[in-house]
Amino acid sequence: MARRRVDFTDLMRLSSGALVGHPLRSALSMLGIAIGVAAVIMLTSLGEGTRKYMVSQFSEFGTNVLSIQPGKRKTSGVPNAFRGTQQKLTIDDAEALGRVPMFETVTPSALGQARVEGGGRGRSVFVHGVTADFPDVMKFTVRQGSFIPPGDPRRGGSVAVLGPQLKRELFGDANALGEFVRIAGSRLRVIGVMEPKGQVLGMDIDDAAYIPVATAMRIFNLEELQEINVVFRHEGQTEEAIEVVREILIDRHRGEEDFTIISQTEMLAVFGRVMDVVTFGVAVIAAISLLVGSIGIFTMMWISVGERVSEIGLMRAVGATARQIQIVFLTEAILLTMMGGLSGLLVGLVATVAIRIGIPGFPAGAPIEYVAAALGVSAVAGLLSGVGPARRAAELEPVEALRTE
Amino acid sequence: MSPRDLVGFAFAAVLQNRRRSALSLLGVVIGVVAVLSLTAIGEGALRYVTNQFASLGSSIINVSPGKNETTGGMPHGIGGVPNDLTLRDAMVLERRIPSVRAAIPVSISTETVSFRERARRAPIVGATREFERLQRLDLAMGSFLPESEIDRGAAVVVLGHKVARELFDEANPLGNAIRIGSWRMRVIGVLQERGQQLGLDVDEVAFIPVASGMRMANKSSVSRIMLELWPRSDQDRVIERVKELLIERHDEEDFTCVSQDAVLESLSSILGILTLVVAGIASISLAVAGIGIMNVMLVSVSERRDEVGLLKALGASRRQILTIFLLEAALLSSAGGLLGLVVGTALVYVGNLTYPAVDIVAPLWAVGAVVALSLGVGIVFGVLPAWRASRLDPVAALQGN
Repeated sequence: MARRRVDFTDLMRLSSGALVGHPLRSALSMLGIAIGVAAVIMLTSLGEGTRKYMVSQFSEFGTNVLSIQPGKRKTSGVPNAFRGTQQKLTIDDAEALGRVPMFETVTPSALGQARVEGGGRGRSVFVHGVTADFPDVMKFTVRQGSFIPPGDPRRGGSVAVLGPQLKRELFGDANALGEFVRIAGSRLRVIGVMEPKGQVLGMDIDDAAYIPVATAMRIFNLEELQEINVVFRHEGQTEEAIEVVREILIDRHRGEEDFTIISQTEMLAVFGRVMDVVTFGVAVIAAISLLVGSIGIFTMMWISVGERVSEIGLMRAVGATARQIQIVFLTEAILLTMMGGLSGLLVGLVATVAIRIGIPGFPAGAPIEYVAAALGVSAVAGLLSGVGPARRAAELEPVEALRTE
Repeated sequence: MSPRDLVGFAFAAVLQNRRRSALSLLGVVIGVVAVLSLTAIGEGALRYVTNQFASLGSSIINVSPGKNETTGGMPHGIGGVPNDLTLRDAMVLERRIPSVRAAIPVSISTETVSFRERARRAPIVGATREFERLQRLDLAMGSFLPESEIDRGAAVVVLGHKVARELFDEANPLGNAIRIGSWRMRVIGVLQERGQQLGLDVDEVAFIPVASGMRMANKSSVSRIMLELWPRSDQDRVIERVKELLIERHDEEDFTCVSQDAVLESLSSILGILTLVVAGIASISLAVAGIGIMNVMLVSVSERRDEVGLLKALGASRRQILTIFLLEAALLSSAGGLLGLVVGTALVYVGNLTYPAVDIVAPLWAVGAVVALSLGVGIVFGVLPAWRASRLDPVAALQGN
């Protein structure tokens, strides 16, 4: 009997023939993998979206900002309730830092909470004691009037600038400029109203009042600043800037490092690490369903080998090698999982786009490494679930195989 | 056909194809184990938090300076307020509200604590004698802060276990004078080792009278006032009274009252939502397992066409055929569910041995849900194959092949 070589096209036809011959069965096997891949992609794109959103929130200020707060903390950029200091952070400290050429602006700020009364109404808000440079640091602008005038930060005039929401709550649509508001018993003249800006890092800066830092320290009877913000000239000089601030302040505070310097980059790094862990954890949980899906494919392949024993016998009889048979079944398994993986990818991406459209401004997007991983895992799953059945098919004795039925 | 026959038939089908059945079971087992162990971890975290609060026993209300609109969570007392929260405020609250057993003003700062050559930084908590009872502190030696006028700060200190050991090694600290910042304080007590508590690790802390603490930090305001209530007090009423009294004294509401229960509630709800989300994600794998079962059942139906044809020819109704195949699917998935329950329970047990501090327990609702889910998965995904079987035409089926 002349042995005919079974060529590649024959093999492909055989592999795909099985897939097409049982459309429902193949579709279901693929569906299992598709669900897993889609889940991984959707969840990681949610995680990644959250991370990007936070990054954009932070970097709105530029990454060339340092925040110095009183009290040494062991934590990594997350303030905790244990505040206590020996040396205070003072306006003099801020001025000393202001004399360093590499620093563009240095703004001391003191924070208070009080009822702001004006226009016959009152509202309890955060009152920021700041200096003239503050809008540059926070990247927001004045809509009407002017911000706190520059000058000696130790001398605070009796003036106030209102956030747009506070202004609306107190004065409605009426003009607020030149009106008086009462904060903690002091009468202050309104000299400006800010442009709406919205939430910045969870603080509503529209619903707040801004007054000179010295005035704030007087009316809230504060002895120290809440924080000093330093903007340095060149991005990427974070390390140097931190070092300079540390030297100057330790020197001023009798050799004690009783303050905490928080840089944007550091905050971002901490937050990024947390988000990475969350995203990874969620992806792993979702990947369990990929595992279950590949078990499903393994089962189907096993059944399919059992059903096609006589077919395999015939193929062997007309000259297919055991190795070729193995390739046929492996190809079938990989085709199944890859098609499942790709359709899952498609669904996941569509869902991601839907999230973007549904929540504008939320940068959902699956990280490419997770997309690749999901597809890679599904391919590997195909290989692994194909190997056993394929070997079983290859090991069939041709004669025995033909005799079944 | 009697019900017994039906069940027997389904059983036989499952047992005949052992490998196939085992494989489709495996998917359900994995899904169930995942859901169970994840909910158990969530529940463990929840219990841990609840216990931490419960170990404080009596109900507590925290008053801190600064208005914090959000409920739950500890207000950080950000920034200045027109009026401080003072020792006098604490005295007034204790005197004027009958339900308040003790009003404990607390000041918190961080200082360098030193004895001879050794120094370390430690949180310094200024408090009063009642703080010992409120936080259930146990003393290893000496006594806690003395009973004295609230606004008189004696120069005494009670050390947490770890601080004492780091400063004194094995020597007896009692009676020695240590330095806190630039102040000399005499050690009058050392606490027993306790380990991490929510928010404050008492092993690391030095306790001093609140008035000394305020002098040290040079502050006129306390960090918070903790109100210890008599058992069975109406917390909401107390919070209302606190607000009335303090607004009367401060002319405005520049403080925040949060009851311990409110904090616990918000923590619990956050943890609960997290657990549900994670369990939900894990249940996706159960659906995938269901698809696997459906596939195997479809194969099983097409393999047994002639069997079905024979049954029909012998007078089995459509309904009975449907029941047979549904039973088979349900058997498969619920066996998987039970097996998963066993494996999951074993895992939880191992987890408990590894982390004895946290009480990892799969919540009852999760156990119930998982069993119901796995059964449901079998029935839902068994419907289509069973329906196909029941629709077979006996003549065609018998002729088949």
